[in-house]
Amino acid sequence: MVMDIQLASLFASGALIVIGLFAAIFIDNIIKKVIGIAFIEEGVNLFLICLGYKAGGVVPIYLPGMTADWFAANSAYPLPQALVLTSIVIGASTLAVMLALAMVLYRKHGTLSTKEILGDEK
Amino acid sequence: MNYLIPLLVVIPILSALIVNIFDGKDKTVKAISLVLGILVPIIAICATVGVQYFGGHNPSLLTSSLPANLVNTLVAGYNTGIVYAFANIERIFIFLMGIVAFLAILTYFSEKKEVSGPYLYLIFMGLASVIALLLSEDIFNMYVFFEITALTQVGIIVASSTEDNYEIALKYLILGAIGGPMLLLGIGFILGTIGSVNIADIIFVISNKFVQPYSPGLVIGFALILFGWLYSAGLPPFHTIKSAVYSKARPNGSAILQGFSVLCMLAFGIAMYKIFAYIPYFNTAIIVFAILAMVLGVAMSAMEVDFRRMIAFLAVGELGFIALGFGIGTQMSIAAALFQAANEIVITAMLFIGFGSVYYLTNTSDTRKLGGLIGIDSKMAIMVLLGGWALAGVPPFNGFQSKLMLVQAALDAGYTELAILAIIVSVVIFFTFVKAFHNVYLQPKPSELKFVHDKIPKVTVFAVAILLIICLVLGICPNIVTDVFIPFAGGLI
Repeated sequence: MVMDIQLASLFASGALIVIGLFAAIFIDNIIKKVIGIAFIEEGVNLFLICLGYKAGGVVPIYLPGMTADWFAANSAYPLPQALVLTSIVIGASTLAVMLALAMVLYRKHGTLSTKEILGDEK
Repeated sequence: MNYLIPLLVVIPILSALIVNIFDGKDKTVKAISLVLGILVPIIAICATVGVQYFGGHNPSLLTSSLPANLVNTLVAGYNTGIVYAFANIERIFIFLMGIVAFLAILTYFSEKKEVSGPYLYLIFMGLASVIALLLSEDIFNMYVFFEITALTQVGIIVASSTEDNYEIALKYLILGAIGGPMLLLGIGFILGTIGSVNIADIIFVISNKFVQPYSPGLVIGFALILFGWLYSAGLPPFHTIKSAVYSKARPNGSAILQGFSVLCMLAFGIAMYKIFAYIPYFNTAIIVFAILAMVLGVAMSAMEVDFRRMIAFLAVGELGFIALGFGIGTQMSIAAALFQAANEIVITAMLFIGFGSVYYLTNTSDTRKLGGLIGIDSKMAIMVLLGGWALAGVPPFNGFQSKLMLVQAALDAGYTELAILAIIVSVVIFFTFVKAFHNVYLQPKPSELKFVHDKIPKVTVFAVAILLIICLVLGICPNIVTDVFIPFAGGLI
């Protein structure tokens, strides 16, 4: 049952990435593309989190009362969690810049259609 | 501990923050930028070769404090913190990139009366991130700095205020927002298989067969990282967007952006080579993309009438030569690829700044509307011509030495057809460049051509002259760099 949680999360992350790729590549509206990209980023983050999952494990914070040996044997792997924190910050920054550009381009072209906006560029 | 190694990253970040704070006070911003900007190449020269363990996480020192159930396990030897490695190869590339960035900033000051703090912030942040990318010994840290580089590249295009710059910035960002997560996913697969993101740990685990070298996790990880590498370098299928990015920035910005791309390509290329070179078809995959980049880049540049886009496509074609060296995979070919990368940073920057002076004078980059510019500044015209020759591989410039080395390496490895292709592409580059040079400088001046400035700033001429001198020095004394590149390449394979 515990293994199923990890598997289910991995499938969910795969689904998020595929849906996000579809939206980012095939949907014309910039905002929907941005949402698709957010899906991809979150899918990858979920994948990383799944890697660090330990069945029946504890949060990787060393608390008073724990012995080093017990902690090493039972805590979840903290590295993916640290990586995901950084990845979330990067993802948020990228999305912020993309949305800012979308706003500027909407004011300039009066549309959010990438075909119309990028079709004009020389 | 060598504290000059982290300073190579800290100084540009500090510069970025300070120039942004003092935005509006032009003299202060200029003084700070120039002083802190020149510090990067100086530190690169002065720093001694070594390793920096952030937080003191030297794995050999940690062993004694490990829990009993981790002693004598694989994990006990892992690097638990970020590691920066600084060797002579990093010294050369950081020095060259620092010089290019400094000269580009100098050119920017000479061409703009009011300087923009945020624009300089982006240049310094980009510089810091590519230096960190080059120094970093862990693939996740490389991914982080690659994303920062991509964001600063977008920022530099947006801040350039050229026509359609926002459209190109968005397009680049959307592609990057797909390429970046794919790279991270690849890193995730490696992490899932090996349990570490440190390159030395990954190599140790694979080479000692603690994991199956052909496990699906590693192979999928390689495919995804290759995809991210193609995006970071601007190799096909990303060559058109990369060339558009170069052509939409100011000439000084383009000079820096292409340097960033070369360093991203190099850092990930070396990391991929260290980790995945044992995978069958690794070299074939790299060679395929190298050929595509060379052929498509040069073919598209030959058709261009806009000289900024022409140089941008030529830069992509030159990236193909670097990839070809990695793809052939011998000691000499990899050394030639590294030499070619060093040359590309300098030569392409010189061409962007040199040809950029034409844009500064006329506000146009359409070669059909230009002509007779040799009469305005013949010194600059000659330097640009020599720069083009260096790019095409004409002796005695550095481009000749690296391409000769690459062709010889291809022949030695039995890839005669690749050697012939490299020569043909170089010849096409030569003719493409000479045609553009003729259109811009030698053909009669069109009557409708108007000048927005009457002369080229002396600082721009100085910047191009310095870059040309570097090309000449590396062409006449290639052993300055090849003595470093050849042993390094030997260590890679």
